[in-house]
Amino acid sequence: MAASPSRGEVLSLFRSFLRTARGFSDYNVREYTKRRAIDAFRHNKDLSEPSQVSAAFADGKSQLEIAKRQAIVYSLYAPEIKSVMELKH
Amino acid sequence: MTSKVLTVALRRIILKPSHLRRFSTAAAVAVEPYQEDASGITMKGVKISGRPLYLDMQATSPVDPRVLDAMLPYYLSRYGNPHSRTHLYGWESDKAVESARAQVAALIKTSPKEIIFTSGATESNNISVKGVMHFYRDKKKHVITTQTEHKCVLDSCRHLQQEGFEITYLPVESDGLIDLNKLQDAIRPNTGLVSVMMVNNEIGVIQPVEEIGKICKEFNVPFHTDAAQALGKIPIDVDKMNISLMSLSGHKIYGPKGIGALYMRRRPRIRVEPQMNGGGQERGIRSGTVPTPLVVGFGAACELAMKEMAYDDVRIKALQERLLNGIRQKLDGVVVNGSVKRRYAGNLNLSFAYVEGESLLMGLKEVAVSSGSACTSASLEPSYVLRALGVDEDMAHTSIRYGIGRFTTEEEIDRSVELTVKQVEKLREMSPLYEMVKEGIDIKSIQWAQH
Repeated sequence: MAASPSRGEVLSLFRSFLRTARGFSDYNVREYTKRRAIDAFRHNKDLSEPSQVSAAFADGKSQLEIAKRQAIVYSLYAPEIKSVMELKH
Repeated sequence: MTSKVLTVALRRIILKPSHLRRFSTAAAVAVEPYQEDASGITMKGVKISGRPLYLDMQATSPVDPRVLDAMLPYYLSRYGNPHSRTHLYGWESDKAVESARAQVAALIKTSPKEIIFTSGATESNNISVKGVMHFYRDKKKHVITTQTEHKCVLDSCRHLQQEGFEITYLPVESDGLIDLNKLQDAIRPNTGLVSVMMVNNEIGVIQPVEEIGKICKEFNVPFHTDAAQALGKIPIDVDKMNISLMSLSGHKIYGPKGIGALYMRRRPRIRVEPQMNGGGQERGIRSGTVPTPLVVGFGAACELAMKEMAYDDVRIKALQERLLNGIRQKLDGVVVNGSVKRRYAGNLNLSFAYVEGESLLMGLKEVAVSSGSACTSASLEPSYVLRALGVDEDMAHTSIRYGIGRFTTEEEIDRSVELTVKQVEKLREMSPLYEMVKEGIDIKSIQWAQH
């Protein structure tokens, strides 16, 4: 198992999540990715056991890869018309 | 010249829809006038500028991006038939199917050997109801089900009835739950199956499955449950609930459409007559090539559901409260259909008094909701589920089912509260009935003139 990630690495992963989330063309998926990432990092913020920290970090990294790939797929097939939630109310 | 004649002839055919009908049945189906261009969507003469916010999770749910990510490789390079035993393509597909089977099994706490992949819950329900009764037809002649089951269970029962089987349709209480004493009284020596759904698709009530399972065990009757709306939303344990057969569906849990599963108990063994004959896939219960990408997606959706159930549940409960409180704060005469205590939070079925349901749905064009099940949403008849609950005709006509899911946001809930309130107020303003009620007249006491 890899060594525990540093604080900087964790923060950088978190920022990558937020950036990737913004890239989703779909309103609901974009909001979900953002919300889920924030909640997951908050949930894991008190982890201290090094093995748990590394496991959570590795999981986060693989989830980020999925999000990055899917953001591309979504952008390829984005409908022309946006959700009513994205239009000025 | 010939081409000109042909064009004229063709045009004639195109211009006369009656001609078309003969060639294609699809053309005969009335399609809603619907147009989509860059400036917006025009539908039924109403123009909306954006895609409606989606609150119809009981009809179907969007595919989770993590599920799609698991599926895509099997649509690209890994296209093998999982039943091919002679090459890598087959082996890798087979491995993927078996690992998906384990993922599905884990979610309902059973072994992968008891999972049969089907095309969806409708097929699983058909195999369960008709298959079991056909297999044991010499000794068992009686089926018990409820009045609020999904159409496919009721229609399978109707089919059995025509073949000479007897069916008991248990009534439900006004909260949508069955009376266990009535179930116990209905069991006969020749009862071959009890089929009660776990979570109702229209009103979201959770039946006391564990208690039903106990009764079935006591009387030694196989118990089938349709868990399409329950899977991944409430914890399921087939042993604790003593379930013999269970129908599952992929597209209700953020998986792909066209895939589902049937849980079939091995000890004590329950046997069915296959509805589909052929290559003997899925232990001969469901012949036909297993669709690897769909199965992989279903498996991934199940694994996700297991991981996310607690997180989603807290959120969906909060959103449901927000929706109900928001509407109740501004409107009177709002009734929740079905038990408030024993219900899945993602399904909120509301009736709005003194409002015509169809007009309300038409007015809510920016919110994708439904009056009940998608299967019957084309008809103007009030839902048979609500009628079984004893909901008054007028209230059954004005029901709206709000389906909240994993991807629903707070802003969407607030917007749908706002739009619903606006629309209901507008309709009530036009309604002479509502005016009379405000003046203190009891509408139920009015003797309407016959016509």
